[in-house]
Amino acid sequence: MESSVQSMSQTTDGAFRFSNGYTADRLISIRHEMEYLNTIGKRFVAAIDRFHVHRALLKALKEIYSFSACCILLKDNTFEKENPFELFIIPCYPLDETFLESIIQRIASAASALNLIHTTADQLARTAYFDAPDDLALSRPQGEVVGSEIGSFLNIPLTVENRIIGMLSLFDEKLGTFDADLMQMTTMIADYAAIALENVRLHERENALWRQAELERMRLSLILGSMAEGLLITDAKGAITSLNTSAEQLLAQAQVNFSPDILLHKLAGTSNVQWISRLAEIVDQALAGYTVKNQELVAGQAEERVPLTLSVSAAPLLDASGTSARPVGVVAVLNDITPSKQVERLKDEFVSVVSHELRTPLTAIKGYTQHLVRRIERRLRKTRSSQPEGSTAVNDLPENYDLRSLNIVQSQTEHLERLVSDLLDLSQVQWGQLQLRSETFYLADLLVDMVHSVQSSAEQHTISLQIKARETKVIADRARIGQVVGNILDNAVKYSPYGGQVIVRLKQQDGYYQVSISDQGLGVSPELFDHIFERFYRVHNTATRQLSGIGLGLYVAKAIIERHGGRIWLSSNQGVGSTFHFTLPPSPPQ
Amino acid sequence: MLPRHENSSSVSSEQVTEAYLKVIGLIDERVAPYLGKATTRALVQGAAQHIKAAYPFLEFLVHRSYTDIVPSVIHEQLSGVAPADVVGGLNALLDECFAGLRELTGDLIAPPLHDEVTHQLKQLQ
Repeated sequence: MESSVQSMSQTTDGAFRFSNGYTADRLISIRHEMEYLNTIGKRFVAAIDRFHVHRALLKALKEIYSFSACCILLKDNTFEKENPFELFIIPCYPLDETFLESIIQRIASAASALNLIHTTADQLARTAYFDAPDDLALSRPQGEVVGSEIGSFLNIPLTVENRIIGMLSLFDEKLGTFDADLMQMTTMIADYAAIALENVRLHERENALWRQAELERMRLSLILGSMAEGLLITDAKGAITSLNTSAEQLLAQAQVNFSPDILLHKLAGTSNVQWISRLAEIVDQALAGYTVKNQELVAGQAEERVPLTLSVSAAPLLDASGTSARPVGVVAVLNDITPSKQVERLKDEFVSVVSHELRTPLTAIKGYTQHLVRRIERRLRKTRSSQPEGSTAVNDLPENYDLRSLNIVQSQTEHLERLVSDLLDLSQVQWGQLQLRSETFYLADLLVDMVHSVQSSAEQHTISLQIKARETKVIADRARIGQVVGNILDNAVKYSPYGGQVIVRLKQQDGYYQVSISDQGLGVSPELFDHIFERFYRVHNTATRQLSGIGLGLYVAKAIIERHGGRIWLSSNQGVGSTFHFTLPPSPPQ
Repeated sequence: MLPRHENSSSVSSEQVTEAYLKVIGLIDERVAPYLGKATTRALVQGAAQHIKAAYPFLEFLVHRSYTDIVPSVIHEQLSGVAPADVVGGLNALLDECFAGLRELTGDLIAPPLHDEVTHQLKQLQ
């Protein structure tokens, strides 16, 4: 470029000059250069793949040079590639093998000088591509002798935004093919090629990423489709946007038509199916940012023996870009837990039947044991009265041993009776058949009775009662409330193996009676508070391992208190003891 | 082979390095219009890569553009290196740069530039 400008200046020196200082010839020259650059620029812009770029490059170079080979070395930073470079050779056929080896050697040296890649000529040769577009294939003039040595060469860095991405190399067997005057023009063409090649590379990478994303999407779709669990996805408004096959099947069983894009709330409002409202609530909770776990929904008909029951867990879907803290939707997993409900039902029925069946023989055992105890006691009294005063012979009678054995039988029978009673209560709670026999009584009196009763069998403990309520009249099931207090007191004694103080407090608060029972025993970890009222739940640690129980007492107590319209909870500090509280309204709810 | 900076015993490593950086700046000025702005930077990095075994104290030039070399960097990298060694290393670096330039363009640019650089180095001595 510069050379042509200079030559034109020399030949037209002294000619008319425009206001910008250029002569008319110079302006014509600039126009021609711009037109030329515009033409080759368009060729590069139109290139959609690297072969189009090679074609545009070759065409532009052939317009200014005659050469034997054009090579393009590209550095590739893609990590998964074995070779971090690609070499394309566009030779003029035929090409001497020695000449070819020489040009590859020179490319390796030039690339090393530019700190572009450091590799051997052999390695470059192994990975080289020979590319020659048919219509632009370099061909020698007829009769031209094929040379074996490099006469001229030019290596120009391919630069994009001041970053060297590769190198353009031109070779010829003749001497003096390339000159400094045309080097700037060649560099300009190389710059065009570099940008076009970088664009192609970005386009290829984009395509590869798109293909990868598409494959991932298909894979995910297959996984979701083959999941046994139902998957339901909503948008930010709570409208279902996607359901997998399992979810469709589950919801079809529930005979609800979930059309896409219908708001769950709207569906709940128009449908008489109750559980949809609950599902809408769960989705709302997740949309508020909460994760909801294992919520049971009875989706089948209530009159069925074991209706279709779903366990629903839902979590907020956050924007992957992280730009918004507000969920963009909800993902909910639906599990059909009907089979486990069936098993549970069978188990409950079994427990109920067995408990009932056990009660009859237990009553007989208890009755006959009592009868035997009384008979032996009578016989001993009789014997004792016939003995002289102060005689110890009666203590050695076999009846005394029998009496001790019968007392053990009696005590174990009572224990068994309590267990059976708990199991029967469990059945009643499970089936929703817990019957209450309400009567009017004074809660303070009941607490006094219970404290005396438990204290009589807890010699290591001091049980005290603090009543801070003027009026303690209540309408409730006295026996059931007594069962609750007795259960908590029994636990307080059982889980305080080294004795200590147990305090029962009664007060009135917010129109309710509140009973609190504190002990100084082992306590319960706060993370177990939610589980302690579950059925068959027992705290497992070294300290409690020796203590008997089946974990039903508190479950039944909770059911009794809730049936009365009260609430039961636990506050505790491990190692300092536990405090159980329950509230009771003065009269049961209507 | 470029002339050695002979007053190396009386000047510090920092002064020597700054003088050579000026010379490299001159090369850049001449090469950039022909081969683009990034070429000299890459040639210096390539040259540093080639001589790092003989002059390990110049290895920092492999990963850093020579244009980023400010006095504090020179002080940090070359403290404790004898000025004579620094001169030796920088001379080798310049020789490698010219060798690299010849690998790229043969004798199209290198010979007149080599003369100019030799002249400037002499002036700096």
